[in-house]
Amino acid sequence: MSSSANPRSRKTLQCTSAATTFQKAFGKELRRRVVEDREPYAIVQADTPHELFHAMDIPIITNQWWSAYISAKQLSSRYFDAMVDKGYPANSCKYCSLGLACTLANEPETAPWGGLPTPTIMVARLTCDCIQHVFGQWSDALGSEFFPMEAPAWTEMDPNWFAHARSDWERVYQPDRIAHMVREMGDLIAVLENRTGRKFDEAKFHHLMEQINVQEGYVWEAAQAIGKAHPCPVSIGEQMTNTMIPQWHRGSDWAVAHARSFRDEVMERIEAGLGASSNEKMRLMWIGAGVWHDPGFYQALEEDPGAVFVWSMYMPFAGPAYIRDLKDKPMEALASRIASMNETLHLPPWMSGWMVSEAKRCDIDAAIMLLPPDNRLSQSGNKLTASALEAAGVPVLMVDADMVDAKIWDHNRMVGMVAEFLKEKELA
Amino acid sequence: MIASAGPNLPLDVLRATGAYAGPLPIDLDKNVTTADAWMESKFAPWAPLALQAWADGDYDHLDCVIFSRADDTAQRFYYYICELQRRGLVGGPKALIFDIAMIPRASSLERTTQKVRELAELLGVDDVALENAITSSKQSAPATSPDHPVCLIAGSPMPDHRLHIAVQAAGFAPIGQTLAEYWCEGGPVIEGGTGDPAAAIACHLHEGATGPRSFGDRSALLRERLARTQARAAILWRIEEDEAQVWHLPAERRVLEESGLPHLVMTRRDWFARDGAIEEISQFLTGADI
Repeated sequence: MSSSANPRSRKTLQCTSAATTFQKAFGKELRRRVVEDREPYAIVQADTPHELFHAMDIPIITNQWWSAYISAKQLSSRYFDAMVDKGYPANSCKYCSLGLACTLANEPETAPWGGLPTPTIMVARLTCDCIQHVFGQWSDALGSEFFPMEAPAWTEMDPNWFAHARSDWERVYQPDRIAHMVREMGDLIAVLENRTGRKFDEAKFHHLMEQINVQEGYVWEAAQAIGKAHPCPVSIGEQMTNTMIPQWHRGSDWAVAHARSFRDEVMERIEAGLGASSNEKMRLMWIGAGVWHDPGFYQALEEDPGAVFVWSMYMPFAGPAYIRDLKDKPMEALASRIASMNETLHLPPWMSGWMVSEAKRCDIDAAIMLLPPDNRLSQSGNKLTASALEAAGVPVLMVDADMVDAKIWDHNRMVGMVAEFLKEKELA
Repeated sequence: MIASAGPNLPLDVLRATGAYAGPLPIDLDKNVTTADAWMESKFAPWAPLALQAWADGDYDHLDCVIFSRADDTAQRFYYYICELQRRGLVGGPKALIFDIAMIPRASSLERTTQKVRELAELLGVDDVALENAITSSKQSAPATSPDHPVCLIAGSPMPDHRLHIAVQAAGFAPIGQTLAEYWCEGGPVIEGGTGDPAAAIACHLHEGATGPRSFGDRSALLRERLARTQARAAILWRIEEDEAQVWHLPAERRVLEESGLPHLVMTRRDWFARDGAIEEISQFLTGADI
């Protein structure tokens, strides 16, 4: 079923190559530390406090990054099939379970890095019903220890949360939720110190938090400029790369410097009037995780009919989700960052409130929304967000596809569907 | 009146109000129209029915509905209702969420205890009323011995007794939970007379062995249920939308195989059993070597 007429995205920024080069080198270094040197390391979900691990110099493999890595090597179908052979149903949630599938397949000859060695710990926030089961079984299969973190209910519902997240984070993210996460992070630090012998350095952590604010500040500044610029200077593929790669290394000297160069390059392109497309006629919003197995999808309609994806969540999320006035309470500030990362992207009123505001800010003509058929968490909030966008005058196309499972993706069909939708809405 | 939606709720707190109306009633024949525009496909099948009923005003006689955070559909339903009410698209009762925390860790137990206290306070329930509710819950009906060999129906909670009827027709005594029974499941007896009934309830909830957020051992639970019911046959029935318990399917299959009992495993099934499940069950039990 999978076909991709345009498997690679076009790169225009120098810093994009710099980021991918860095990440490749980092991947090698991570592999050396984890596989060859057998350093203690952790497998963690994306919405967990990576900052603690960075401050303790404990290598982490992020589940979502590992999934994307496996997927990019065209191995997802193979491992999901192996999981079905072991008695799991074929409709199990794909995004979080590809790493487990790879481990269960037990094929060192095909697995990236020959498969992962036993991590010291595995950490996940329980934002859906399945993640504790996936991580529980994965940690059993790897002979590791699972450290779950609660995702408490959020009853302070402010649709304009993004406007107050930086300075009024205690109210926005709810004091009891923040306190709970601070306590869990304290427990996690104690476990990490005990298992690895490495100490948590508060001064280093505080510095890291300050540096993250600087880094995400550059990204936020660039995101603001991109939203206003006509034509859009940078494709969302390059926005993602230059946001996400530094975000995996957030607060490091390289990440801060990279975010600054990215900001500078974006500003230069805007100043020069350069666009991602030479024929921008309409501006699109991509809602959902990136389609990692077909990055060329986003640029397929740029020149004809001039449909440019201007927005995806990764870059603009940097501001409201990451930047925090520390108020000499860095652990609490971190808790406020982590405690709602997933919720703001998948639940009303946070998701819908933010996306409507972003659509207005970026002068969006239409939105394309990913609706993975087997993943409630990724689906969640989509229809209410779609209705809010439509009420705000932004037409929405929902696409049934999965971000890592290439089986139900057909490049030409998907591009055709978007083109048809734009015609129907008389945008093209 | 108060209704509940989802598992692992502090039902004794609700009963102590004297206004507990039981689990949120689900009309299985509800025609889902507007709710389809708000709710995605992977929600448990009761949810669009309930959302439509909410939109149609079927729950207007209720004062509030308590949703559980121990079930993803229930907790998301809560946020959806809050948002739809905020936008003025639905009315109906007030939605509340019970923020249970089930991780086996002191901080989660303490949070659950705090949330039981907050709910009791919100509903105007004092310790005496709570203690009385705990005592009343202990007085359950005596167990009866079935006249026929038992067939355990494990897996997803069923919409009603349609699968039970198929099992009965094949000469077996069915044991398996409907959704309403699952939401009202008491589990082990809560310790009474502790002087801190909220803490006793919280401890009971935190250690709950059932529900998608439980940290209990699913294989052990199935093994225990097979033994307790003295089952002579078993059906493991899981619906398409089950995304949590289904991760234990390989282990549960092993338990069934090790039991030596005739068993039928049905996965990715239609909650309404419109997929031939009833015929398959009849066929299985007719041919079962008991």
